[in-house]
Amino acid sequence: MSNSIWIHYSRPRPHWYLLSEPEQTALQQNWSAIREQAEAAGGATQGRFHIRGQHDFQEVEIWTFPQTMDAFNHWSNLVAARYNEFFAFSNNIGLGLEA
Amino acid sequence: MTSLTGDTDVFSSAADNGSPEASVMFVGYRQDELPGIYTETHRQAILAVLAELAAEGWTLALRKVFDPTAGNSPVGLDTGFTHEHDIAGVFEAPNLEAAITGTVRLERAGWARLFRTEWLMGVKEFAPVMGEGAITNHGWVFLALWEWNDQWCEATPAERTEYDFECDIAFKGDLAHKVNIAGRHRMDWSHHWHHLGAWEIGHPDVADSAIRGHEDVADFKFTTSRHIVGRLTPLAELIAPRH
Repeated sequence: MSNSIWIHYSRPRPHWYLLSEPEQTALQQNWSAIREQAEAAGGATQGRFHIRGQHDFQEVEIWTFPQTMDAFNHWSNLVAARYNEFFAFSNNIGLGLEA
Repeated sequence: MTSLTGDTDVFSSAADNGSPEASVMFVGYRQDELPGIYTETHRQAILAVLAELAAEGWTLALRKVFDPTAGNSPVGLDTGFTHEHDIAGVFEAPNLEAAITGTVRLERAGWARLFRTEWLMGVKEFAPVMGEGAITNHGWVFLALWEWNDQWCEATPAERTEYDFECDIAFKGDLAHKVNIAGRHRMDWSHHWHHLGAWEIGHPDVADSAIRGHEDVADFKFTTSRHIVGRLTPLAELIAPRH
């Protein structure tokens, strides 16, 4: 059961553009592996969407997780892999509405 | 495991000793302009939920963070005189699940009728630090939210560590102002602010004086901050109906 929604807004920080393509690719692969790990642990994502045309951020990702702590752990894994150093972000957590 | 940076002279990692590990911060804007929206019945329902939360291990009075023997009556910050919002506050919850479900329980009891609220939830990273003198009748609280800017993110690990110890100079100055610092809470997983620091202070001017010390050591070269000063007031008063 997925009861928590986690919404993640992001845009590259300026120095992201200074990295070489192999450096960017290596980091992106690490973060993709963490996303796959989150899905294997019960998380589910609607995917990543481009929103730069009408928002301060460039992308939004929408996830559901069984527990609030799963969202925290997923984010902690991304931070450990330096994601927050290269992407500015804003996150939200929410619970499913009960009838 | 959850700390974003290492310990410094002032701050050490929070101990896993069974104390509340999560925090709930709120900033509220009153919206009960019309009679009937929010009544004494709602206030009593909110107070009943707060009593339940206290029984479930929540800390509802910041004083108790520094002195476990202190009372646990719910306390908030009266912020309307200096800020756009009317109320702010910090509770500590047993864990993140309890934190978020607690906010929903409060909203449903009537809080949502009274306030338009920004809720922030975090995990305790660093343990509380007592200031010099550690007086108990502080009366005021200073809340600091901050996020690391692009320059921090571009800096090397050595530059960041050097910066942490520069900031430590200012934090030592804060402690000399008899400020008690409720550690550091990590909010980045659910908000754009990365951290919360909550201080007990003796007077609003202490906040200004202390922040000048942080400016002197270039604290803000690597951060964007939001600061809130409020007078400690029983929450039961702050949520009293107007009509």
